[in-house]
Amino acid sequence: MNPMRGSDDEKLDALFRAFGECPVPEPSVNFMPTLWGRIESRQSFTFSFRRMANAFVTAALALSVALGVYMSMPRSNQSYYSQTYVEALAEANSLDAPDIVGPVTGR
Amino acid sequence: MLVDFEVIKRAQAGDSAAFNEIVLAYRKRILGIVMRAIARPEDVEDVAQEVFLRLYFSLDQLRTAEVFEPWLYRLTVNAAYDYLRKQKRRQEYRMSDLSEQQVLLADATAGGKAERDEQYNKKIRESVDALLGAVSEADRILLMLKEVEGLSLKELEKVYKVNENALKVRLFRARQRVLKAYGEAGKGKAPAKSGE
Repeated sequence: MNPMRGSDDEKLDALFRAFGECPVPEPSVNFMPTLWGRIESRQSFTFSFRRMANAFVTAALALSVALGVYMSMPRSNQSYYSQTYVEALAEANSLDAPDIVGPVTGR
Repeated sequence: MLVDFEVIKRAQAGDSAAFNEIVLAYRKRILGIVMRAIARPEDVEDVAQEVFLRLYFSLDQLRTAEVFEPWLYRLTVNAAYDYLRKQKRRQEYRMSDLSEQQVLLADATAGGKAERDEQYNKKIRESVDALLGAVSEADRILLMLKEVEGLSLKELEKVYKVNENALKVRLFRARQRVLKAYGEAGKGKAPAKSGE
């Protein structure tokens, strides 16, 4: 049966078949060298990126350690913080405003 | 399988010679699939190389050598899809030409398989390319794998990791759109472009 005389379905199948029979271009002689060239270029990019990332992580780690050491060092004026804010305030204003803290009395 | 599992395992371990062996065994097939998927002979080799490039860098993710082929098809589908997306071409349907091509195909088929010279093949490629423009890039590749490459639904299921029924629905809809475009081309009418 001639497919072109059938339905659109058959005609489409015939077209697809003809398409499937179209020759495929042969790989060029440069196919493999070009492929390996692309692989190597991507590898070197990945390698540089990884090296940069490693350097960044190392630097961040070193900075964290340095900050940790710095923060753990004892401070000379640490006693200044041994009082609470209220205590420090009371000490500073002990006689200035005694009414404020006294009981409220009705008139 | 065109190569032994052993070769794949060696390539996974970083053996360049084994990887070369895989490329040499599969490049013709991959070139064919890419050629039919993108219908652009000048870019076929570039896309095929991209497939093998992705293969090289993702071989270590392959769990078992048994699933190598569907996995390679998947890489091919993805590379072709990326190419089509990048191109954003969706060339205008040359429907007046297409009608002419249908007549040409009719003549060729009726005439008992006339010689298919390069001009004829080009016309066929252009016709199919224009018709497949009626569906999304993803459906175009799926349809091509089924209709032209002849992959079974079971094989497509492994490639797409989608269940068979979903694939059947997608294929049916895609084919209906292409058929509609074909019918309209026959009448010399440009089809409406369908969504994704």
